[in-house]
Amino acid sequence: MHGRPRKPPTPEEEKAYDAKAAKLRSLQTQFLHFHHNQIYTKEALEVCAKLVESNPEYITAWNYRKLAVEHIVSSHSESDLESDPDCIKSIFKEELRVTERALAKNYKSYGAWYHRKWVLRKGHSSIDRELQLLQVFLKQDTRNFHAWNYRRFVAALKNRSDEEELQFTTDMINDNFSNYSAWHNRSVLLSHLLEKKVDGYFPKEKVLTEENDLVHQALFTDPDDQSGWFYHHWLLDQIVKIKTPLLVYTWPPHGSNLEVWVDGCLDVEGVNSSTITIESSMHDTNKDLVWKPLSTNNSGRAQAWVTHLSFLEEKLHFSQANPIKVTMGHSEGIKAVSDMISWGDKKFHSYEARPMESSQINFSNPLKNSDDNDLMAYKWNAETVANEISLFRELLSETDCKIGKLTLARLLTALDAMILYNKTSDSNEVVHFEEVLELYSDLMKVDPPHSQFYKDEYSLVLLQQLTSTPESLLRHCYHYRDSSPSSINSYICLRLCNLSLSRIGSIEQLLWIQMLDLSHNHLHSVEGLEAMQLLSCLNLSNNKIGSFSALEPLKLLKSLKALNISYNEFGAHSVDTRRYSCSSPLNHTVGADWNFGDWNPIDGIDFTNCWEAFSIFKDLKLTQLEIIGNVIAEENFKLFLVKVMPSLKWLDGVELQ
Amino acid sequence: MYQLLPSDYQGQEINRLTLAYFVISGLHMLGAADRVDREGAINWVLSLQAHAKNEFDLNNGQFYGFLGSRSSQFQLDDNGAWIPNGSHLASTYCALAILKTVGYDLTLLDSESILKSMKNLQQSDGSFMPIHTGAERDLRFIFCAAAICSMLENWSGMDKEKAKEYILSCQSYDGGFGLIPGSESHGGGTYCAVASLRLMGFIEHDVLSKGASSCIINVPLLLDWSLQRQAIDGGFQGRPNKASDTCYAFWVGSVLRILGGNKFIDEKALRQFLLTCQSKYGGFSKFPGQLPDLYHTYYGFSAFSLLQEPGITPICVELGITDVDAIGL
Repeated sequence: MHGRPRKPPTPEEEKAYDAKAAKLRSLQTQFLHFHHNQIYTKEALEVCAKLVESNPEYITAWNYRKLAVEHIVSSHSESDLESDPDCIKSIFKEELRVTERALAKNYKSYGAWYHRKWVLRKGHSSIDRELQLLQVFLKQDTRNFHAWNYRRFVAALKNRSDEEELQFTTDMINDNFSNYSAWHNRSVLLSHLLEKKVDGYFPKEKVLTEENDLVHQALFTDPDDQSGWFYHHWLLDQIVKIKTPLLVYTWPPHGSNLEVWVDGCLDVEGVNSSTITIESSMHDTNKDLVWKPLSTNNSGRAQAWVTHLSFLEEKLHFSQANPIKVTMGHSEGIKAVSDMISWGDKKFHSYEARPMESSQINFSNPLKNSDDNDLMAYKWNAETVANEISLFRELLSETDCKIGKLTLARLLTALDAMILYNKTSDSNEVVHFEEVLELYSDLMKVDPPHSQFYKDEYSLVLLQQLTSTPESLLRHCYHYRDSSPSSINSYICLRLCNLSLSRIGSIEQLLWIQMLDLSHNHLHSVEGLEAMQLLSCLNLSNNKIGSFSALEPLKLLKSLKALNISYNEFGAHSVDTRRYSCSSPLNHTVGADWNFGDWNPIDGIDFTNCWEAFSIFKDLKLTQLEIIGNVIAEENFKLFLVKVMPSLKWLDGVELQ
Repeated sequence: MYQLLPSDYQGQEINRLTLAYFVISGLHMLGAADRVDREGAINWVLSLQAHAKNEFDLNNGQFYGFLGSRSSQFQLDDNGAWIPNGSHLASTYCALAILKTVGYDLTLLDSESILKSMKNLQQSDGSFMPIHTGAERDLRFIFCAAAICSMLENWSGMDKEKAKEYILSCQSYDGGFGLIPGSESHGGGTYCAVASLRLMGFIEHDVLSKGASSCIINVPLLLDWSLQRQAIDGGFQGRPNKASDTCYAFWVGSVLRILGGNKFIDEKALRQFLLTCQSKYGGFSKFPGQLPDLYHTYYGFSAFSLLQEPGITPICVELGITDVDAIGL
């Protein structure tokens, strides 16, 4: 059927198809007669064999064979077995023969492969022939994933070692560098070997160096083939992944908030008063501290966690620094979620909270790595990555390869991250922001379909660059003074406007920000802002945010008072609006507990059409909102907003009654 | 087709419900719902449901869902039960998808017995067997189970947590999902994984703009892998270094849609590729210039629906049926 070239069949062919179909139909009829009447004779099994050999997809027939085999085996009496001890074996042997012929007809048949596994699991057959058979199938199609799955099954059944199987992938790869399936299997096997620290696979540095050499051969042979690149990406990850998540940033606020930022892109869980210790002269007990994950889902895990300290007034010294020390104590309880590595015992970061009046910009330095072992590992990692970098610079000088550029950009970013996290005060290693930014802008040009993807990466690197030193960050900081004399607030406003940002990152450097201007960018998401717990004024105007649910992180910002989302794309995507503004049974997280009955109907506003906006704004305590310049912002919608947010005082610059 | 299949499709006799799903849902996608004999379809589908003879039998380990075709349906025995009963998860998914598409009220169905007996198919590792007599277990059947629960609006038929764990163990080093743990990433497997997680509510729609880093799966890697599946000819492939194939424009395209990454697709090139797979009679083939078939035709329509082609109804990608029918408007 499918896969047949498009040309009209000749009358002879037409006839042949019809004859074939008629034959199949008659086999099916005979077979079903046997099946329905539970006839398991030799003749019946032969009809069934013919059927699956001509149509291996006929699962019903495979099911019948299983019933038949079980029936025949159980009907053999003890005496039968004595007279012919091999009779059971021969039954299963016949089954193997049938599956083999079916697989020869269609090696992608799930039913046939499963039947073979079923037979072998019964344990009456030799498994010696299986690897040989697999050679045949893998020769026919080196990417046959059924055969690869079956190989893993047979290897487990035969207790073949991971090393033997790894050698097999080496052979397959040497045969053809583009065999993605072989690379895949290699990653699976090597992960096991490294994890179990098998002899010859420890220390991992040696193994990873050899793997790098192997994959370089593939990459340099055909830089446009993806197989090696994905494997290389995985190897790189093994090298640069931070093994023990570090607590690198904490941000104590003006006396009431204390935040902890966790390094890497790992989420952690299990942060509580017994796993984190806080010592301060004003607050010396941890018992009543409640840590909350900053996360929009209820998974109990997040990158940033927050707790609230209540200070005793008499102990607070306004004129001097109030030191607070944060320590990760009994760390067994804290877990990095993405790869389940438990945290090392590390002491961290003490910080001096500054007097409230201070307008000085605080710049948090990442924690320096002091452990000797870590330093050794770091050196090896950094050297390896540096070697990779020079190698790929060389490759790119010869060929213009998109995935090579992307890899180089990632390598440089990884090296920068290592340098920044491990920088010692005397080191003056170079960071490569400029080169990375250049690579991404280049990629945007040569690979337009994925330009949005590169742009996101570009934005993240740009923000890293802006926040990497106090000097560069200061260039974007401004004082904001309220004109009204009654106000004593003097905010420092971070203005990151007109930077073509499509994503936000490096939030860990910005935890102290109270006022943030991100207007005139290309943002479609505000993910990450939830960590800025002190944020009270946020300008997102003139961006590309298209749905209210994209504002979900803002619900976690308890101090947010003024929000500007004017000139975005709320309501502009007509195709999606109907779909996602309908409260649909597919949505599990929100809506079930709302009672719109209390609201309806005011001045012809149908709130059921605004559930998406409702789910965001009902949890915001804004006093000021700008929403002008969005398709959705017509009068009725504004009435709805006023209703949902009683705290609102100004809407689009107009003072509300 | 309810009675006899055209000769080219004779080999797929046992999957008649699936073929019917492609035809009926396909017509709805084209806005030609009026060409479907609604009553006929409903009666035919309902006649393929397997019933337990009593409450007690629901716990006997058998699955009482839908049979793929009349030929696997057995005569009723004296007690009014079929022996053996060949109910299959994929057929059950297709049956419910047809019923939902033609607007049959699914609350009229004896969903309790489907769900209660479906639970028997779930294994301790969270995966599902498609049929109680035993067969391969992989992500395809977790998807069927999740879609069944979602359509019946009742999740008592499966242990969602366990299913989630199984799915997570299938994510490979490159970010895609293999059909079973340890197997190579595959477009179809990745669809089953992501759509199931979405149906079960473990991931949000458009995670890319909401919280990719706090997602339970590795989204950046998955995005990378999925985007690289768009080949140089504009079409999507199921695995690296394989030829572009019509159906992966849907399987991988849907993953990207659910993640919110569809804005990264080269839509123009994809459209052009798909058109080379369309035959002059209207259907779609797997590869350019071949004879069309029902399966690739259905997923060709679906791919065009993802591309928001005028005249094609939007689809609910995680269920594989048209949006309007999924919501039940």
